[in-house]
Amino acid sequence: MLIQENLGIREKLAILSDAAKYDVACTSSGVSRKGQKGTIGSTSEAGICHSFAADGRCISLLKILFTNQCIYDCKYCINRSSNDVVRTAFTPEEVCTLTMEFYRRNYIEGLFLSSGILYNADYTMEQIYQTVLQLRTIHHFLGYIHVKAIPGADPVLVEKVGFLADRMSINLELPTAEGLKKLAPGKTRDKILKPMRQIQLGIHSQQQERIGQRGSQRSVIDQMSTSSFQVGSMQNSSRFIQGMSTQDVHTDVAAYYKNKPSFVPAGQSTQMIVGATPENDYQMVTVAEALYKSYDLKRVFYSAYVSVNQDSSLPVLPGGPPLLREHRLYQADWLMRFYGFSAGELLSEKKPNFNVFLDPKCDWAIQHLEQFPVEINRADYGTLLRVPGIGVKSARRIVAARRGVCLDFPDLKKLGVVLKRAVYFITCGGKMMYATKIDQDYITSQIVGVEKQRVWDIEHKDMYRQLSLFDDGGLMVQPTVEDHRAALFGNL
Amino acid sequence: MTVYMCKENLESILCGVYDAWMSRKGHAQVKLQIVSDGNIELFCEYIEVEETPEKLDKVISAIRSKISEEAWMEVSKAALSQDPLRADKIYRFLIYGFHFGRKVVDMLQIPAVYDLFQLCRNVGNESHYFIEFIRFSEMKEGVLVSHIRPNNDVLAMVAPHFADRLSGENWMIYDERRKKAVIHPADQNWFINEIDDPEWEKRMTEQTDEAVYQELWKAFFTSIAILERKNARCQRNHLPLRYREYMTEFQK
Repeated sequence: MLIQENLGIREKLAILSDAAKYDVACTSSGVSRKGQKGTIGSTSEAGICHSFAADGRCISLLKILFTNQCIYDCKYCINRSSNDVVRTAFTPEEVCTLTMEFYRRNYIEGLFLSSGILYNADYTMEQIYQTVLQLRTIHHFLGYIHVKAIPGADPVLVEKVGFLADRMSINLELPTAEGLKKLAPGKTRDKILKPMRQIQLGIHSQQQERIGQRGSQRSVIDQMSTSSFQVGSMQNSSRFIQGMSTQDVHTDVAAYYKNKPSFVPAGQSTQMIVGATPENDYQMVTVAEALYKSYDLKRVFYSAYVSVNQDSSLPVLPGGPPLLREHRLYQADWLMRFYGFSAGELLSEKKPNFNVFLDPKCDWAIQHLEQFPVEINRADYGTLLRVPGIGVKSARRIVAARRGVCLDFPDLKKLGVVLKRAVYFITCGGKMMYATKIDQDYITSQIVGVEKQRVWDIEHKDMYRQLSLFDDGGLMVQPTVEDHRAALFGNL
Repeated sequence: MTVYMCKENLESILCGVYDAWMSRKGHAQVKLQIVSDGNIELFCEYIEVEETPEKLDKVISAIRSKISEEAWMEVSKAALSQDPLRADKIYRFLIYGFHFGRKVVDMLQIPAVYDLFQLCRNVGNESHYFIEFIRFSEMKEGVLVSHIRPNNDVLAMVAPHFADRLSGENWMIYDERRKKAVIHPADQNWFINEIDDPEWEKRMTEQTDEAVYQELWKAFFTSIAILERKNARCQRNHLPLRYREYMTEFQK
């Protein structure tokens, strides 16, 4: 494998952004930082998208690989060592110039730097560190930086980078260890979870320092070597680290922050590939839930598998990437993070996959009709959130608006409630909007009619549909007595 | 019916509110209208609103103390809207505001409050779009210039964001529809200026080595999309076509 040295920056950018595009963890959210005099850049808590690519995905950060050279041979990856693709690498200076010039023109919100593994994990991590260090210290860049921790890299390097970056991520790629062994022979669960735990401990110890429960300023690495939690080959690396003073880490980076440097302030995220291995949705959401709970992850991203390589161990996807499945997983992810659902409520061993026709929340509500209908004027916020058609914003607005008045259905529409889904599950002042039966089959058939169009849209983007008289979404409703009568007398 | 004619700016609208209110003709008998909004009606008396600092002060301090700071923010945001009926909508909102006090902003079930909420949301959404989609290009002497054509008057809404972020840069954002620009000299405060001068327009198109970075950005924009997932409808949803006219990546 040969690195092409003589490519222009335009060719390099095209190759290395093309190679990075399958990584989806590229939001710019999680940290709010004002600009400072003499520096350039700021960040916003919710993140800012700056453009949308032809696939409809947001472009927020300059998403590039440092190099697409890689020693690993992960089956699903376009940059695997056995693929014959043009290999190239940026220099830290090139990445800095691109980031700064793009940032000034408001093209991007910051940098997302990942990399294939050049020579070994430590060398690659060191290159990434140099790049980020230059951005922060030489260019005084205060915009968003998201950096991948390279599995297997020296924890000291990971910590040094952590003090410069806003967010770090390590991709889990596949939810089970078997899947990983099969498709990514160079990586192990340990190698991935170890830096994830390190970053979590780093963020955690810093939070404790802030609230003043901890007097001494112990470094993350010190803590890791003494903490009861040991992941795999932790002992080996910690012996190596003890030779280094953790003070070095701080002095390197303290120069750029006026106040104390903070460690990965926007938290960490990860990504799982959907549909490359036979894991079901239940496994995916339970793994995601475990990551949120025990690793304090900010986000878990799901990436529908795009078949870029031909390999006997990879599935053939004649219908294109499994986009609907990815969509359902994101819906469930939101339910877990913002709506107070747990993975066990949405799916179970018996029912391991999401309903294709219904979104997870509707599906859950129809299975739990005993909890409905809910009275809008009395139900608490948590209960409102569980009603299909009511989201975080509309639930908040309902709680604020109902003080002193009794809300009715037309009011709900103004507050942003999606009535076509919500009507089956709510009452206003003790009355439902229409005389609807609280019956599983009836409500399912009604809602599926509404949902059908959306499902079709996700699976067949940018295509037109042949209308049919007899097989259309809206015709799921049974004709009423009036309809029969009208048909009989011929006045349809 | 008495119609109070105000100018397009917030100050004039608020003075109109004062005049209409203090006329004591009853809320059903008065109406506010923006001057530029064409037609006149039969059986109406038209009165031009006179702007004075005293009226303005009284209305602003009444809104801030008797309703809330939040309501004041919403009113000033709504005044930036392009809606021709915005003056009257603000007036109708304030009637409820002075009646209910601070809780009025949550009472979206009242049509007048909902109208104002919609104006605010529209202005807020559009200014957020411009924070995302404004593209600067570097002119001679290192000045960053951006052209936009917003529906609402969003310059004052987007300026603080860029002043904070690019504090050390000379930049300006030019609103082609209203012929005015927000100008930010490096390390100084920004200000809004009317620019209706062909000389300026000419200066603003003289570019430096800008083409290099525009080329690079276009290359990045093309290669970052996954063709197997191509979805133009989703793209249009997030990035409506009317913003693309001034965006580097969509220019031929």
